[in-house]
Amino acid sequence: MNKNIKLLPVVAFLLSICTSVLAVNPVLDIGFVGVTSGPAASWGISNQRSMEAGASLINDAGGVKIGGTTYDINIVSFDDQKDPKRAIAGMEKMAQKGIHYVVGPNVDDGAAAVRPVAEQQNIMYFPYAFPKSLYTKPASNAILGMVANYQSGPAIYKYLKDNEGVKTVAFIAANESDPLSQREGGVAAAELLGLNVISKTVTYQVDTTDFMPVIVPIVKLQPDLLVLSGVAPANAPQLIRSARELGFKGLISTETGQDAQVLMDGAGDLANGFISVGGASTPEIKSAEMDKFVTRYIEMFGEYNDESNTKVYALEYIIATLKANPAAINNVDEFKNTMETFTAPNPYLKGDRVLKYVGMSSFGQKRQISIPLVVNVYNNGKFETLFVAEVD
Amino acid sequence: MEQVLTNGVYLGAQYALIALGLTLIFALMNVLNFAHGQMYVLGGFVTYTVYGRFEMPFVVAILASAVTLAILGAFVEKFLFRPVLKNSEREESSMLLAAGLAFFLDAVILLLFGEKQRGVPKIIDGVMNWDFLIIMPYDRILIGVLAITFIVTFILFMQYSKPGRAMRALAQDKVAAQLMGVNVTRYSMLGFALGAMLAGIAGGLLVSIVGVNSGIGGPISIKAFMMVMIGGAGVISGAIAGGFILGMLESIGLTVLVAYGDMTYLLIFVSLMIFLSIRPQGLMGKPWG
Amino acid sequence: MSKASKLIYFFIFLVTILGIVPWLIEISGRWDYYYTLTSVALLSIASSGVWLTFYIGRINIGQGAYALAGGYVVAILVTKYDVSFWLSVPIAGLFCSFVSMLIGASILRLRGVYFAMITLVLTEVAKLTAMSLPITNGAKGISSIALPGELSIFGISIIPDFSTLANVKLAFYYVAVILMIFVFAGMYRLVNSRIGHLCRSLQQNEELASSIGVNITILRIIAYSISSFLGGIGGAIFISISQSVYPTTFQVADSINFMLNVFVGGMGYVFGPMIGTLFIYFGWDLLFTTGKYQLLIYSSIIIALILVLPNGLLSLRIFNKSNKREAK
Repeated sequence: MNKNIKLLPVVAFLLSICTSVLAVNPVLDIGFVGVTSGPAASWGISNQRSMEAGASLINDAGGVKIGGTTYDINIVSFDDQKDPKRAIAGMEKMAQKGIHYVVGPNVDDGAAAVRPVAEQQNIMYFPYAFPKSLYTKPASNAILGMVANYQSGPAIYKYLKDNEGVKTVAFIAANESDPLSQREGGVAAAELLGLNVISKTVTYQVDTTDFMPVIVPIVKLQPDLLVLSGVAPANAPQLIRSARELGFKGLISTETGQDAQVLMDGAGDLANGFISVGGASTPEIKSAEMDKFVTRYIEMFGEYNDESNTKVYALEYIIATLKANPAAINNVDEFKNTMETFTAPNPYLKGDRVLKYVGMSSFGQKRQISIPLVVNVYNNGKFETLFVAEVD
Repeated sequence: MEQVLTNGVYLGAQYALIALGLTLIFALMNVLNFAHGQMYVLGGFVTYTVYGRFEMPFVVAILASAVTLAILGAFVEKFLFRPVLKNSEREESSMLLAAGLAFFLDAVILLLFGEKQRGVPKIIDGVMNWDFLIIMPYDRILIGVLAITFIVTFILFMQYSKPGRAMRALAQDKVAAQLMGVNVTRYSMLGFALGAMLAGIAGGLLVSIVGVNSGIGGPISIKAFMMVMIGGAGVISGAIAGGFILGMLESIGLTVLVAYGDMTYLLIFVSLMIFLSIRPQGLMGKPWG
Repeated sequence: MSKASKLIYFFIFLVTILGIVPWLIEISGRWDYYYTLTSVALLSIASSGVWLTFYIGRINIGQGAYALAGGYVVAILVTKYDVSFWLSVPIAGLFCSFVSMLIGASILRLRGVYFAMITLVLTEVAKLTAMSLPITNGAKGISSIALPGELSIFGISIIPDFSTLANVKLAFYYVAVILMIFVFAGMYRLVNSRIGHLCRSLQQNEELASSIGVNITILRIIAYSISSFLGGIGGAIFISISQSVYPTTFQVADSINFMLNVFVGGMGYVFGPMIGTLFIYFGWDLLFTTGKYQLLIYSSIIIALILVLPNGLLSLRIFNKSNKREAK
C-alpha cells in the first residue's frame, strides 16, 4: 500500500507528460465492435485495420476539422468473438466512452442483438450484415456498411446472363445464419431473372476442411454458374479448387469481398475467372488517395487484405457527415437529418463519384452508404474490374 | 458412387490421422485435449513457413512440423498437465487446462501468422481421371497414401517397439504397468509428445491440400472428439475406425441427403447420439472411458 | 459456521448486490457494468445447472443447448402467441426440463468423457435444429422481441412494463440478480438436503449408492432436469435483453464456457459457478483495453490459475473457512 502511494505522483507526472505531448488536438473516438479472433477473425481484423489505417492517415495530416475544432481520430475496438452476447457488451462499452458512431458488428446475430442498446444509447452503427429488419422502420440507428447481396446478386447474375449466356445456376452455402440468408436472397434474385436454379440445397459445416465431398453433387449437375453464397475468404479457394479439380467447367461467383493473395495461395491458377465483389481495389478505378491508404495499411500491418477494399468507406462516411454537420458529433438525430441530403466527393475512386446515403428502394429509408458496386474477376493473382454499377 | 466412396476413404484417412494423437493422449493420461486442433493448426503453419515461405523441400517441412510439435507436447505435459493432474482433486480439472491451452495457442497463432487463410504451392500437379468415375488430383492421392503410411507406421510402433508396448501397458492399467517397472512419468511425457507430433504431421500434410487458417483449431478439435467417440475413446484402432466411419458418413451423407440440404448434418449428429446412447463405449472402446 | 453468522453473511451479500453495487455504478457512472453484471448473473444461473450435473459425477458440455432452447421458447411464445414474458420464462424452463428428461433417460447411462462428448454433440444438434425448423424461423432467427411487459397479480402491479422504464438496464439487473439469489439459495438447500447427500454419493461411487437402495436412475434424471431448467431460464431472460435470438446465440463455445465457469470457481463449492462466471466474464470485459493481446493475456491467466489453484478459486484459504464445509 505504502509503495503505491509513493508511486502516485510519479504516475500522475508521467501521465501529464503523455497527454501534453500526444493530445495536441482533442480526440474524437470512433468505435469498432466486431470479430477479431476465432474462425471468422479475418472479417473483423480487415475491418479494424482499415479504420486504424484511415485514422492514422488523418492524424498524420494534422487531424480533421469538424466545425471550428480540429480533432485527432482514435479507433476504440472491441472483440465480440462472433458472440452476440459479447457484442452487446461491446456496444455498452462504446456508450460508456461516449461514442456515438460505431462500425460493426460483422454478422447477422450480433447486429440484431446490439440494436436495443444502440437505440437506447443513441449510437449510430454500421453493420456488415444484411437482414432488412435492421434498416427498415421502426429501426433507425443501423446503416448498412456495404452493398447487400440482394443488391449485388441481381446485377451480377444479369451481367452473366446477358454477356456469358448463363442459363442454369447452382448455390452452395455454409450451414450458418448469414450464408443461408444470403443464399435465399440469391435464389430469389436468380429466379426473378428467369435463370434456372438447379441446386440450392447443398450446404457445408463451418468446420469443413476438405470440400471435395461437399461439391461432388453440384459438379455432377454442371451448372453454368456456381454461386458461393456468403463464402468466407478462407473457404473460397478450397471450394474453387475442389470444383475445378473435379472437372467443373462453368463460372464461379460470390457476392462477398475476397482476397487475391488468399485465392492465389489456396487455388493458384484454378481461381482464374472467379467473380467477386470489390470496393476500390482495381487499378482501373482507384484514386491516388486509395493507393496512399493501401501503402499505409501495409506499413502498419505488414500485408494488405483485399477485403479492406469494401471496408475503407464506413469511417470516411462518418467523418465526412460530421464535417457536413458538426452538431451531429454528439447528437445522432442531427446525423440522421444530415444523411437525407448529404453528399461529398468519393476520395477513393477516380472521376467524380460521390458519397451519399441510399437505401430507399431496399429499406424505404436512407440507411445504407452508397458504395459503387465494383464486380471483380480474379486473374493470375490480381483482380480486374468486370463492371461497375450503382445501388440506389 | 465410386467417386463418393473414394472421397470417403480419402477423407477417412485424413480424419484418422487427426484422431490418432487425440486418442493416444486420452488413453495414457485420461486428458481430453481441447488443444488438439490448435496443435494441428500450428503444424500446418510450420509446414507453410518452411515449405511455402522458405521454399525448402516438403519432407523437411513435415519433419519440422513433427519436431516442433513433439517438443511443444513434451513441454506442455511436463510443465502444465503433470502438476495439475498431481494437485487437483478431480482429474476433470485437466479439461480447464486443456481449454485454456487451446485459447492460448489460438492467440499465439493469430498473432504470429495473421488472420488470413494460407496455402502452399501444389506438391504435384495434375488430376487422375479414371473414366470420369473417379477423379482424384495426384497430390490428394499422395497425401492420402502418406497419411495411411503414417498410420501404419504408428500402429507398428505401438505394437512392436519397447516404448510402444510400455505405452499400451500404461493405457490398459496404470498401476499394473507401474508395478511391472514401466516408468509412468517418462512414458506419459513421451506419449503426449507423440500425440502432439501426430497432430503436427496431420496439419503439415493437409496444408498442401486444404490450406490452414488460424481460427480452424477449435472446430477441428470438436470433430476429432467425434471420431474418437465413434470408435471408442482411448483405443488406437477405435480412432482409426472412427475417422474412416465419419469420413464415409460425411461423403455418403452429403450426396445421398443432398435434397434435404441443411438437414444433412443434423441427421448425422442425431444418429451419432442415438448410436452412442445405445453403445456408449463406441465401437471398440473401454467400457467406461 | 453457526446459523447466525451464515445469516449475517447472507445479509451482507444481499445488501452488496442489491444496494451497494447499483450505488457504486451510479456514483462512478460506469453504466456499462449493469449489462456485464446482468450477464454474469444469468450465465451463472446456467452454470450452476452445469455444476449440479458435475455434482452427480457427469461432465456436462451441453448447457448451451438448453439455454438456446429456453431462448427460443420465450421468443416464440412472446412474438407468435403473445404470452406474457413472465409466464413464458418458467414455461421455457419446464420445457427444457421435459426435453432433458427424455434425452437424459438414455444418455445419463454414459459416464466420464463419453457423457461429456455426447452433450457436446447435443449443443450442435440444438443449433442445427433451430436452423432447420420452420417455427424457429431457421437461419434468420427471431428479432424485434418486445421488452418484458407488466406483471400484475389481482390487479396489483408487481413488475412494471419494461418499455415504460427510464432505466431498463437497472431493471434487468435486478431481475437477473434476484433470480440468481433464489437459484443459489435453492441450490444450497438442495445440496444440504437428503437428495443432495444422495447425489454426492453418486459422484463418489454409483455402484455403492445403488447397492444401498438408491434409485440412481431417477436421481440422475432429476438432477439433470433441474440443471436443464436453469439453463433454460438463463437463456430465456438473456434473449429479452438482446431482443433477438439466432441459432448461434448459444453454441458450443458457450457450452464450454459454462463448464469453465464451474471449473474456475471450483467444483466442490455450491457458489463456485457464481465466482467462476464473475471471474471469466468480467475478466474478459476488463481486458478489452489490451486490444489484440486480449486473448493471449486472458488465456495465460486461466492457465496460471489452474496451475496455482487446480481446485478452483474458492479453494483459496480465505474462502475456505466459510465455504468449504458447507458444500463438501
